[in-house]
Amino acid sequence: MEFPAALFPSYFGAGPPREEGGPAPAAGWGERGQVLEAGTAFVPRRGGTGESWEPADAAAVPLLPPNASCWVPSLAPHDILYRGDLRRKLPVGRSGAALDFTKQLGHFFVDHPEDAFGSLGQLLHKNFYLGNSKLKRRARDSTIRMTALMEEIHRLEARRGCPRRHLASRLRWFSHICRDWLFEVPLGLLADCVHEELLLQWAGLLFDDSATGGALAWLPPENAGARAGRLVYPGGQAMNRLYFQDVVLEELPRAQGSPAQFELNGRIRQVAAARVDREDFVGIRSDYHCGVWRVPGRSGAAPTPLQVIRTGTPASCLTVSPHLPGELAVCTQSGAVYLWSVETGLQRLRHDPQTMFFRDHSPWRWSDFTAHPRVLSCADRTGLQCLDTRAPERCHFDLFKVGEEAGCQQGERVVLPMYLGRAHPSQHLVTTQFSVYVLDERLPLVPVLKWSHMMKSPPLFAHLSTGGPGRSQKVLLGTSSTQELLLLQYQGGGLSACQLSGIPQKLHSIAGCLQHLPAQLPHRHRLLQQRLGAPAAGLAAALQEDGPRESLLVFQLSEAGDIFCQRLTHEAAQPPPPVSGDEAPAAPGSSPLFEAPASDKEEEEEEEEEEQTFYLSNVEVIINEEEEEEEVGTPEEAERPQDRCSSPLPAPSVPSPTAALRYRRWVKALSEGRGDPLRSAWLPTLSQKRLFTRRDLQGPAGPTVAQDRARERLREAMRERGRVRRWDPPAPPPPAPWQPPEEGGSADALSARLTAAWCGDWGQWWEERTSCGVARRQQALRERRRRQKRARGRRSLSASFASSLTYQSELSELSDPDPPPPSPRRPPAGSPPPPEGALLSSQTLRCRGIPKERQKTLRDYLAVWAEGPPDPPEPPGSQASQLCIPSSQSQLSSASQPRRKRPRMGF
Amino acid sequence: SSREHKLNFKKSKEVCLSYIQDAMLQKQWKRAAEFLTFYVESLEKDYSTQYMGPSEMIWRIGTEILCHHSHSSMKEFNSFIEQMKTLGVKRYLKVCLEHTFHLLCNGLIDEAYQNLSLAESWRFGEQTVIQDKEMKLIQAYKGLLDYYSWSKQKNILLEHDQDGFEDLSVEQEMHSCFRKAAVNLKEIIKIPGVWDLFVKCYVDLLEFYGDHDEARQVLNEYAYNSKFPANPNAHVYLYHFLKRHGESKKSLISALKILHDIVPSHELMIDFNTMLQKSRKRKKRRLGLEVIFAGLDYAGWKENVKAWSCLARQVKQIVISEKHLDWIKQEWSSRKDWWPAFHFSRYLAKRNWQENESLSHEKALVAGILLGKDCKYFKYVSHQGCKAQVKRFRILKKFVNKHNPVYLRICG
Repeated sequence: MEFPAALFPSYFGAGPPREEGGPAPAAGWGERGQVLEAGTAFVPRRGGTGESWEPADAAAVPLLPPNASCWVPSLAPHDILYRGDLRRKLPVGRSGAALDFTKQLGHFFVDHPEDAFGSLGQLLHKNFYLGNSKLKRRARDSTIRMTALMEEIHRLEARRGCPRRHLASRLRWFSHICRDWLFEVPLGLLADCVHEELLLQWAGLLFDDSATGGALAWLPPENAGARAGRLVYPGGQAMNRLYFQDVVLEELPRAQGSPAQFELNGRIRQVAAARVDREDFVGIRSDYHCGVWRVPGRSGAAPTPLQVIRTGTPASCLTVSPHLPGELAVCTQSGAVYLWSVETGLQRLRHDPQTMFFRDHSPWRWSDFTAHPRVLSCADRTGLQCLDTRAPERCHFDLFKVGEEAGCQQGERVVLPMYLGRAHPSQHLVTTQFSVYVLDERLPLVPVLKWSHMMKSPPLFAHLSTGGPGRSQKVLLGTSSTQELLLLQYQGGGLSACQLSGIPQKLHSIAGCLQHLPAQLPHRHRLLQQRLGAPAAGLAAALQEDGPRESLLVFQLSEAGDIFCQRLTHEAAQPPPPVSGDEAPAAPGSSPLFEAPASDKEEEEEEEEEEQTFYLSNVEVIINEEEEEEEVGTPEEAERPQDRCSSPLPAPSVPSPTAALRYRRWVKALSEGRGDPLRSAWLPTLSQKRLFTRRDLQGPAGPTVAQDRARERLREAMRERGRVRRWDPPAPPPPAPWQPPEEGGSADALSARLTAAWCGDWGQWWEERTSCGVARRQQALRERRRRQKRARGRRSLSASFASSLTYQSELSELSDPDPPPPSPRRPPAGSPPPPEGALLSSQTLRCRGIPKERQKTLRDYLAVWAEGPPDPPEPPGSQASQLCIPSSQSQLSSASQPRRKRPRMGF
Repeated sequence: SSREHKLNFKKSKEVCLSYIQDAMLQKQWKRAAEFLTFYVESLEKDYSTQYMGPSEMIWRIGTEILCHHSHSSMKEFNSFIEQMKTLGVKRYLKVCLEHTFHLLCNGLIDEAYQNLSLAESWRFGEQTVIQDKEMKLIQAYKGLLDYYSWSKQKNILLEHDQDGFEDLSVEQEMHSCFRKAAVNLKEIIKIPGVWDLFVKCYVDLLEFYGDHDEARQVLNEYAYNSKFPANPNAHVYLYHFLKRHGESKKSLISALKILHDIVPSHELMIDFNTMLQKSRKRKKRRLGLEVIFAGLDYAGWKENVKAWSCLARQVKQIVISEKHLDWIKQEWSSRKDWWPAFHFSRYLAKRNWQENESLSHEKALVAGILLGKDCKYFKYVSHQGCKAQVKRFRILKKFVNKHNPVYLRICG
């Protein structure tokens, strides 16, 4: 191995760090560091020219459907911090935070009354009376009436935050008497536990190192030219399911086939992978268990679990050997470091609860491999040492010390060490909260490269993407809580000294895509913001070489389990074509959600129509007018996320059509996800499947006379292009607190409506209110129909029936001589079911919440269907789901499957 | 209200800075420059006692922007830096140093030299430790530039020498350059640090003027002073110096032995091994085997044909002579549990055979001796080699088959 003939000059001192400091916002800029003569010219340590990698998209794009689960947003400071007037009075402690301890204790009593007061509650419940009536004389001997006390408590609750509230004497008296015996768990003990837990949670909020290393890994394809690799990531509600998903690298990477999945016994904290002899070894760390899987190199081969170990104290590190198959390094928070070989088991190399170079309270430990397969590096917050596993007691040397040796600042701590063996066999990366260092084992203690990374929180994730000879090494750094991603490049280590090349570059964060998502109502926007702003949990990247073009795909995992990706292209390459027309057809069973559309342009047009379109293929009626209106709004109008790094961009670039489609589908899938918190706020999407069953629509076995007649008339009318008159007497307008379309939205409108409702002629008010709107809409529809008709030219009715849906709705619009009583947009969920026989009356349809302009379409469609194909197909819903749901990926119910585009002529 | 005002000012300063940062990290230099012009206002009320004040940030950010902005010129850069130098007294030397680096990287050696001379003569009160260090560096770089002009003049003189006439003025100038360079370089290399560049130049100067003792002392100090970091280059320079001056094998070996202790994977270890193998002493040959085994432990040597052929040669010698098989046995005992998977897996056999035939030949020989003729690596390679009818593989197969009993003695 060559060693650089000359290194950059630097001072070398020993001892604790002298430089005072802290996070300095611009510390990484403007310095060349040192210069070195190389041949004829001087080269700088920093600021040399690097490769140019340009982001290809406007923001990160979802790779997979949202992790279907009711994601519980992680703890936020305001959940446990004290808010209120007391805060100012409380002394500010060393942590500078006042934890709201009483609130948490109160939560415990309310949430777990059985545990808190179980037995005494049972004993006393006969003696406590909570009713309103007076106690009978006989009962009064043994029973106390608690009603007044309860009222007092409620009143207290209502005055929460009021500075002038006083404890009622009754309450004080009660608590004074009961404090000692009422609680199941002694109050002092419980309080201690709660307080301890709160402190732990707060420490976790300040800095959580459990995710160090990241829980996302990319297994590259066996031969570099292949376009498919495998992504290993956690998912599920508790992030305890391990997925191995094949991913095809296209313009936007997409999942192929269903993932292999394993259910594990705890939340997955870290996924580490290394390739030895064409086989990938994947190590999984959860708190008390570590496991190792083997993934054979050939594509499609199933991963096999090899071994699992259990640890007494939480494991803090798991790394996989890049040298020998089935070897891993494990560290636990008790300070133990193990070499774990699948064949020979565990070998403890060190057990030292103390830190190495100076005292630090953190129990975090890390270990990684080095250029020598028998030598491991061990790290704690104070530095790194290398141990020879053959004689761990005797043979070791210091590789990195937080001190003057590396020119560290006071208070600097090691956050993540990583072996950079793929770049150069003896290089290591060390990140601290301030800087990033590259070390060479052959020159211990003196970093060969140092740079202040200026990230807002400590980088917990790193990924190395190696370049070939003469190319720069690309290092990605990622933080957890702020989701920052930074791309650094460096070169050298062999013949030439290590240099930082190019300018560090910031990549898109997950939260940054919020502005490109379809505009949402404020509350949904907030929920989305929360979801997208979840701390990052992993980082991986894939280098794709496609002839002259080279691109780096960066995957980012969030704590909610969502995976986003972004593409960086190398400048030397040609810019990617904006829209690729000939995408390869999706393999059967691939995720329908993100399946590449047959043609993007067409797709776009369809998308625009989507919300108004009556989906024949899936028989889904989408009543989503509000959303439609919103979605028409340009994404630029959307409020910019209030994220930490927001700044007015000169011109927000717009995501490509395919990316935009993905955003929309992702948001839709998220909202439809089972048990999703967004769901409750997402009423307007009604599936017909849920509205009526097929039997409902067919009516009692065989068409009834009334239906026959109705169909006959319908067909006749269509032949003649005439009008269809109602064949049922109009039902009384459904009584419901309908939501009128808020146009003015003023208080006057509201009061007028209330007055009208009070007087009883609310229906009339409605009529007046909507008639103008209806007229305008009709006009607009007619206009559009005329335009489209001109564009479409002549076509036979039957063809247009099947192919153009807008036409249908217009037809109904036209053929209605007098607009029926305006229909509400959203019927109440519990509207009375229509009588069985009265099929397809416009009234019934209206009752079922189908807007007027679609009613006829539905009727027509049903009529044709009944007599259409002799052998009626399966219910379209189930057909669709059969076709497009990959078996094990079907976390979404069939009802929530997105509509798959098929040729509409199919029916 | 004034407190509030101050808070607001602070806040907007921070926001402005984050915009600049954002723009720079996305290479939007123009936008960053625009924001920086606003940020300059923060200088007006710089009450901060922070570690890094606004003036330093402006220097850093401004430098970076001017380095990358498409419309910036060297002239603009220089005038910006001159302003920055006056902005903070404490930072003066650092800014000067960085300015010099920038000039040097752009090939402006003379300007850099002027800049360094100016900085060297700068005095302001008492110097802090850091300023002291920076001053030393400034002097050292000045010495380095003196050295370069010395070597330029030396070359001119040498050319003239060939032409057969002398040039006194050039010679005088050369000597004055030598003096200036030597004084400054000598100073910096006394302080613990990594001074490869300066040490090399200084030794070159000394050697030219025939001061070998001083040169040797400098190199010894650089290599063996425990206050200096364990820099492999220090030992390499010493080794090359000793070699140049025809020192004894013994001193060369001792220099390399120390390098071996620090960096067993250094490329010089192959030279070391060859040197030791040639030795007549058993102990040295034994050390040679150790050295080559230790080198091949490292991932970086996995495909080093030279190293493998060294090992193969020595192992072959030992096997043929049937003496010192215990050396191999001893070396092997600490490696037998992981070398087979690390070096001699079936996958590697296939790959080595495809990519580098001679590598696979050397490795197969070692594998055949150490692991016996049934080992996967040897079997695959010898089979392929015989199939391809390459003569040396047939010889290899014969050799290993003949000496198979050795394997039992090694692993037994």
